[in-house]
Parts: sequence; structure tokens; C-alpha cells
Amino acid sequence: MAKRAGYSVIENVRRALGRTAGAAVEARPAVLAPRQAGSIEAEIDSLIKEINALSGSAQRVSEDDLNQVLKGLLQTQEVKKATLWQTAGLADLGLEGRLREMGVEIMSPHADKYVLAECDLGVTEVDFALPETGTLGLLSSQDKPRAVSLLPRVHLAILRPAALRADLHDVFAEAKDQGYLILITGPSRTADIELTVTLGVHGPQALYVWVYSG
Amino acid sequence: MNQEAHISETPTYIGFGDYSTHVPGNIPTAVQQATDRFLSTRAARVAEKANWEELRRAAHEIRLHTLLHLDSYLEQVERQVTKAGGHVHWAREAAEARTIVIDIAKRHNVKTAVKVKSMATEEIGLNHALETAGIQAYETDLGEFIIQLAGSGPSHIIVPAVHMKKEEVATLFREKLGVEAPADPLRLAAIARATLRERFLTAEMGVSGANFLVAETGTLVIVSNEGNGRMCTTLPNLHVAVVGIDKVVPDWDSLTVLLNLLARSATGQKLSAYTSFITGPRREEGENGPQEFHLVLLDNGRSRVLQDPVGRETLKCIRCGCCLNVCPVYKSVGGYAYGWFISGPIGAIFSPQILGVEAARELPFASSLCGACADVCPVKIPIPHILLHLRRRVVEGDQFESPAAPAVLRTGARLGRLALATPWLYRLGTRLLPLLQVPLKRDGWLPALPPPLNRWTKVRPLPAFAGRFRQWWGKRQGIRDRV
Repeated sequence: MAKRAGYSVIENVRRALGRTAGAAVEARPAVLAPRQAGSIEAEIDSLIKEINALSGSAQRVSEDDLNQVLKGLLQTQEVKKATLWQTAGLADLGLEGRLREMGVEIMSPHADKYVLAECDLGVTEVDFALPETGTLGLLSSQDKPRAVSLLPRVHLAILRPAALRADLHDVFAEAKDQGYLILITGPSRTADIELTVTLGVHGPQALYVWVYSG
Repeated sequence: MNQEAHISETPTYIGFGDYSTHVPGNIPTAVQQATDRFLSTRAARVAEKANWEELRRAAHEIRLHTLLHLDSYLEQVERQVTKAGGHVHWAREAAEARTIVIDIAKRHNVKTAVKVKSMATEEIGLNHALETAGIQAYETDLGEFIIQLAGSGPSHIIVPAVHMKKEEVATLFREKLGVEAPADPLRLAAIARATLRERFLTAEMGVSGANFLVAETGTLVIVSNEGNGRMCTTLPNLHVAVVGIDKVVPDWDSLTVLLNLLARSATGQKLSAYTSFITGPRREEGENGPQEFHLVLLDNGRSRVLQDPVGRETLKCIRCGCCLNVCPVYKSVGGYAYGWFISGPIGAIFSPQILGVEAARELPFASSLCGACADVCPVKIPIPHILLHLRRRVVEGDQFESPAAPAVLRTGARLGRLALATPWLYRLGTRLLPLLQVPLKRDGWLPALPPPLNRWTKVRPLPAFAGRFRQWWGKRQGIRDRV
């Protein structure tokens, strides 16, 4: 039944267009040439500027000031509970240990969604970053659950310069067969009541992006 | 009459003239604030994008190419979504789509569903159908949430509740949610966040539309600013997407062009806060996301629209709402006057083609043909041209439909054509009319005219005939020759 109905939609389309089954598809019209990347430092500057313009909080962070910056975030956002992606990149930074030492309770990223929704902080890495628009691209997998960048009140994204891409074309070429991609451009926002911009409607209220180059 | 009641059901007749003469004053005021905001931010984004016109041209070509080969791309969508583990359903009409969604929901014993703002589900009147079937469907976009509580319809495509003041929203929240609600947008948003959080976490089904559907991989693309799109497609175990067959994009490279245009045209953002790319259900349990994914592909008259080489360009639309923002008619009457889920210039060309020119015969005339919509359209839909084409269909009929205009309009149009095409008749008219108007003229205006011309003067006075064009033109030529 569903099958028959299905073929009738395609058949109706085909008839409307005067085409026949299996008719060739002409070459798709050309798209624009991708943007070219600037120097790494210029790209990072642009990314930071764009994210901050969207009321996110982006900065360069080095090994030396990681603890201090982390302490600042925990204080400003009153973080009691946190959850993290279980990736090698975050493990290298020893973030989980640092958070524990600072008195933060760590929840598994595979905990029940109610538990994740109670977390103040979700920490992820960044798979792709677009300097032109201040956009972060995150994939998902067993170790990189989607809810970590969604349910906690604050999202902290650790970005290594290797994640920089010049253009959406580059991101898509790598991400299209991955099953899932989320592009994040600034914190969750709305202007639905009297056009007043409000951050953190459903997604995280605050977005921190730390560009870490060791 | 109730300005909103006719919005979410499939209308059998859209009385634009009637609706637009009963517009409450708060609607144009609020709509103009919103549209001015969007237009000024859009202008800044367009100015900084050096290749804007190139992007528009490429988008137009890609969208048209897709429509002209839509049968092949739809087959590819079905193949790829199935390969990714999703289920594809085909709905010829709104009723079929509603039945498919309700069947899926019942099979999974769904009690509550959370919804992302979606025009396709508005088009098929899904909320009402779900409720009738005993399933609570909650809108989760803040604006949609507010108007769902208020029991009304959207006044703007991007900010649906823009006509409501914060005090009204606060009263609504107090009455419907039973909470203390101050008239402060930030606090009101926080209340909505808390209320909807609970619903996101408990709902068994997430319902979405899609901004785009990529044939290359069968990927659903959903754009949102609030994050509700992510919630609805990440938390419930079941995700059902209802998508018009016109949303297909050939491949990811084409998508870059459209994403570069969409948010800039809609809200003046470079990209919306969140763009989700979802291919089938989750692959690993721990990554989150639904276990089961259903795609309902909706025709509902679109294949009929494709037959018409002029009208089919309507389906290039990517629903940015920019044509509404620049439209002098829309800004004066707001969204309700267009009588269905889609309004403004795009509504004036979409609704008559989907519902038939008989049901929406007034809409092609709801335009001054100023052309501002075509100037800003990111995919270059020739809206004024299509409006004229549809006016012809309404008055004269064509191979697709028979005439739908009332006899008086048809006769008027015929007489007009005769007068304008016959020089001696035209000249006679320009001499007679200034004389005939004398008894009706008050201070240079005609405040009341006899029927059927009173259809105009009931709403606004007509400027009196000021002089004879040919005479004026002759004088002007004389002046120019002397300079």
C-alpha cells in the first residue's frame, strides 16, 4: 500500500515534468569557489572575534593558564556538576581530573538524560571550526554523545587549530558520511518576545570556546 | 470574526479582502518592527558578502535544476534514507500524511510528541489531527509555544508571536501554566525553558520538518536558533520528519550555497545558532539520537504545480521570509490576512497553486506588483511575474484551471482591455471621467463610489482624476524640448 502510494508521487512528478523513468540527470549547475584560508593566527583571530560578537566567550588558552581560566569559568557559572566527551583529546588535557580537583562532580556522558540535564557544564572537543562565521562543527559517536553539548547549562568547547577549515565545503567533504553533524554558531538564542534577544532558550545559555595549542 | 481560527486548517476559501479589512491595529505595528529589524541586519550581512549576487544566481540555478529532475532526486532520497536505516513514506495528500504519522505514533504507543516549528506540519494541520487521535503535540519554538497556548496562528514566518506584547504573554503564562510570570522577556523565556525541558525529556516522539533534504546521502538538514530543533531530534527515541518534496537538494556542495543565503536572508545572521545534519537513526546507542527514523515525503499538490513552467518556480522557495519583510501589503495586513500557514508574497503565489485558484482567487491580487520581493529573494523567484500569471489564471483560465473570478471582475477586466486597446475609447474616457466624478468629488478625493466600485472606497478613498495624461505628457515634452 505504502509502496504503491510512493510510486504514484514519483510518477506524478515524472508526468508533470514530462520525463521518463531512468531519464538522465543533467550535470548540476556549478557552485561557487570555496573561501581560501588565511594564516592560522588570522583564522583564529577571526573565529574568536565572530564567536564573541555572538555573545559567546572565545579565547586562546595555553597549558600554563588552563587551570586559572577553568577556575574562572567554574566561579562565574557556579558549576557543581559536569559531564565530558570521552575522547583522547580531552584526556590529554586531564580536564576530568582538574575538574574533580576543583570540587566538581563528574557525571558519565552516558548517564540518563535527566542526569545530563542537571549538569551545569558539558565539555566537548571541536571537530571543525569555520573562522568566517564563528561556527563549530561537532560529530557524534559512542564517545561523543550529542547531548553533552545540548543539555547542560554551559557548553565548553576545546578547539585545537587542526580543526580549522576554510569553508563549509571542506567541512561537508569530511562530515557527509558520518551520519550526524551539528554546526553551532553562538549560544542558543531567540527574539520571539517583543524582539528582545534572549540567550539560552533551550540549548546552553553560555558557550565557551578555548583555542588550545599546547 | 475570529482573525485566527481559519489559520491551521486547509481553507476552502481565503477571503483576503474580508480578512484584511478587519486587521487589529497591533498587528501591522508589531510586524513592521520585526520586518525592519530583520531587513537592517540582512542589509549588513549582504553588504559584507562580496559574492552575494553570484550566490543568488547559483542558488536559482541549483533549485531549478533540482525541480526539473525531481523524480530522479526523490528516488535517490528514498534509496539513501533506507540505506541509512530510516523508513520512507509517501503522502500524496495532507490526509494521507496525517494518517501515516498517527499510525507510526500509535504503533509506538506515543502519548506526547514534541515539535520543531515546521511549515509542512502546519500545512497538513498535524497538531489538530494528533490531538484528535489522543496524542498531545507540543510546539517547542518559543513563539509557536506562545501562540499554541493562546490558541491562535502565526503572524510572521520567523517570529510567529511578534504581535503579542510581553504583558499579554505574561498573562497567558499565568493563566495557562499556573506560574507567577513577570512581564519581562528574559524571565518569560526562562519559564518556557523550564516547562519545555520537562516535555523534551518525557516525549516519546519528536516531530520535525526540514529546511533541506540532501539526496546524495539522504540527510535531513534542520536550522534553529533556540536549540529546540536539536532537542526534538536528539532526545525522543522516535523521530518523524514531514518534508515537502520540494525541499530536496542534490548534494552537500549545493547545500553550501543555500546555507550561505538562508540565515542571512531570514534573520540577518551569518548562520543560525544550530544547523543539524541527520542521516537516518543513531548508529551507536551511546551517541544519543533516535533509535527509529521516519521520513514522510509530502506531495500535496506540488507535483501539479510542477506542470506549470511559470508557476513551478514557486517551489524553489527556501522559506526565509525575506519577501514578507519587504512587502508593503504584508506589512500593512500581517500574516492572518493570507488565510493559511504561508503568507506574504510567497503565500500569494503558493496558496492559489496548492489550494486551486478558486479557493485562493483573491490572493494574486493582494499585491501592488512593486517587485521588492523579487529583488531580495535569495533564489530569485520571479514573484511579480507569477502573480500576473496567476491573475490571468483567475480571470481567463488556462490549460491548468478554469477561470475562478466572479463575473463582475471578468467583465471589468474585459472592458478595461477594450478601453485601453482602443485609442478613441480611451480618449473619450479621459474626457468623460473628470466630468462624471464632479458630483462625488470632495477635496480632490472620491470618498464613496457606487457598486461594484465601492469595494475600493469602503476601505479607502480613491484619488480623483487629476487631469489628462496625454495633455500632461504633451506639456512635459514641450518643457523638455525647451531645456
